[in-house]
Amino acid sequence: MMKRFISGFLAAGLVIGSLSGCGVSTNTGATQGAGGTTESSAATVKATGTEEQITWMFWDNLDATEDLITKGYKQVIDRFNEQYKGKYYCNVVTSNLEDYYTKLNALVAAGNTPDVFICDPGPNLTQYVDVGVAADLTDILKNKESEWYKTFNDGIFERITYDGKIMAVPTNFAAACVFYNTEIFKKAGVEVPKDYNDLIEACKKIKEAGYTPISCSAGTSWCLSMIAGYLCDREGGPDNLIAVNEGKLDWTNKSFIDAGTKLKELSQYFQDSAAGDSNDQATANFYNGEAAMLVQGSWAIAQINGNNPEFESKCGIFQFPGIEGGANPNRMIVKTDNLVMSSSTKHQEASLALLKMFTDDTAQRYTAEVAGKIPVTAVKIDFDKAPKQFAYISDMMKTVTGTLGFYNESLASVEAGDFFDNAMVDIYLGNATPEEAFQKVQDFYTKNVWKK
Amino acid sequence: MNKLLEDKKAAVIFLAPAFLLFTLILFVPIIQVIYYSFCNYTGLTKPDFVGLKNYIYMFTSDETMKTALKNSIFFMVFSGITQQVIGLFLAVILTNLKWGRNLFKNIYYLPCVLSSAALGLLWAFLLNPKIGLNQLLGMIGVQGPNWLFATKGLIPLPMWVIGFVALWQYVGQTMMLYMAQISGISRDIYEASYIDGASKSRAFIHITLPLIRPMLVTTLSLNCIGSLKFFDLIYNMTQGGPNHTTEVLASHLYTQGFKFFKYGYASSISIVLLILCMVMTVVISKCIKVETYEA
Repeated sequence: MMKRFISGFLAAGLVIGSLSGCGVSTNTGATQGAGGTTESSAATVKATGTEEQITWMFWDNLDATEDLITKGYKQVIDRFNEQYKGKYYCNVVTSNLEDYYTKLNALVAAGNTPDVFICDPGPNLTQYVDVGVAADLTDILKNKESEWYKTFNDGIFERITYDGKIMAVPTNFAAACVFYNTEIFKKAGVEVPKDYNDLIEACKKIKEAGYTPISCSAGTSWCLSMIAGYLCDREGGPDNLIAVNEGKLDWTNKSFIDAGTKLKELSQYFQDSAAGDSNDQATANFYNGEAAMLVQGSWAIAQINGNNPEFESKCGIFQFPGIEGGANPNRMIVKTDNLVMSSSTKHQEASLALLKMFTDDTAQRYTAEVAGKIPVTAVKIDFDKAPKQFAYISDMMKTVTGTLGFYNESLASVEAGDFFDNAMVDIYLGNATPEEAFQKVQDFYTKNVWKK
Repeated sequence: MNKLLEDKKAAVIFLAPAFLLFTLILFVPIIQVIYYSFCNYTGLTKPDFVGLKNYIYMFTSDETMKTALKNSIFFMVFSGITQQVIGLFLAVILTNLKWGRNLFKNIYYLPCVLSSAALGLLWAFLLNPKIGLNQLLGMIGVQGPNWLFATKGLIPLPMWVIGFVALWQYVGQTMMLYMAQISGISRDIYEASYIDGASKSRAFIHITLPLIRPMLVTTLSLNCIGSLKFFDLIYNMTQGGPNHTTEVLASHLYTQGFKFFKYGYASSISIVLLILCMVMTVVISKCIKVETYEA
């Protein structure tokens, strides 16, 4: 009898345990979802089950991050669930950045596209537009919600507009620049470099002073590719990028080869572990005071200040320098974080309410004043509250005469961008000369893009 | 029993569940994948039949495929040899141990039951230049290599490292299978050989080795097939990088399918992988002659 009782008790425990494992947490903020993604939800408001529920997918864990932008996004979700309590509820599906598109693609392919998801501009967004996954927001923005549309800054929709159709809503705007440690610069007796030659001279002096001149991640190839993109732009300007995509210019053109040669030269001044360091590790090298410079997007402000608030006072910023005899250097690599609404969502009103909340004054003010990224709307900013780096970037943006997207995100496809990134890693690792590396990109374009 | 088998209705009823499961879970998807491998298919639009285009591209233009194929074959040969030799060695040693056999058996088998994802991350941390083994080497003045990010050589260092980790993880399984086989050999045969003057090493060569041949076919097939479709440690330790130098067939398939949305092309890679696995199984079973002895 006792044996039967124990067996029954254990069996009941197993059943209850299994069932409880299937549930979705609504207050701890973390349960394992399909495909290894983590499903989390706002800590303050619980879903009652009677609301209209939507899903938002994002590339960072809202509950286990020091990134201030991510924390801001969490606040938006909390506000949304609070404000629409009993009416709408937003469930959050998160993934790490490296696996984000893999997991999103798997959800899309399985017919489980999140109602709203974050997306990079360029080929990543293009693939969702091409297959009809992204909803066309033109009519909503320009007619039904014209007041909301008017709040956005001019030109902000440019890179997310396809054949005149707006396919996403931007949430913030970042520019890639060179962050530098003012203390190390002072100790090494270095001034902010005015051109590429100055940059090399500065690197030499910093190295002699016993510091790593530049922290870079080649383990996360787009970080290295960002420097390569700047060098390509500084050598050849915007026309080169347009021309290679249209098949009017070869990748073996002198300006690209020269950019590759300079990348190799500059990479001598990276930290020893650059080949294996991830993006986070490379950024940590910088805010921990081990490296003098970091070439990154302004989203790094949130990461730097979030992880080491004391570093803010000694963090300076300058524009990636030009090359003597090269193109106009007064251009910056910029990108927006964008929210895409699924074309198959059955909760359009709720999804739109969420999109609006991401771009309302509270969220946009937080973007600038706390996270240090550039708002997408004309919200009034208190510069005294904002990180110092935000003011530097804002000043820089006033004098910039042109912008370009990330080089890898401005190419013909995700695969083309990946190919470019890897070719740059090849140059850095010494596996290929700049000529050989760009010949590989040329071959890829010939076969897959230009289809000559 | 015979009467039951003569009843065709009963046979159909008994076979139906297994047949349905096999058809739905295995046969239909394989046929689907074969069809997709001849298509341009993004997973989001309808498959567009392109004939042999995917296969032609794979063998003529895809440089990563060549790297992946080379790495997969290296991995199969490396795992096949090392796991057989070390697995058999451990099995023989442990079978003859009088004390601590179960303890060591569990120690060697333990990595096999742990999650590959967790082990991959653990080793990636250990071999990370910032926080791992290289820091220890640095303390004694030795600059460690880039364990997971070196790219030089026909088989770059990360492939050897991952091969070693896979050996550490799976050698326990080979060992256990050999131990089971060795334990089944009658002690009488050994004792008879010792009476005839055979040494332990001669007994191993002339008794143990011939009698474990059936298990050799099994373990070698498992090693080879497992190595060819190997994915998890690669994905968790290097993601196929840097610049695809540690890509294997399964990781290349994954990248093409889930990163670039090229499900048609990924399907064609999976068919090549399937054929390779089948070829290896046939080669092993044909090359190693197994005779049944009454042990």
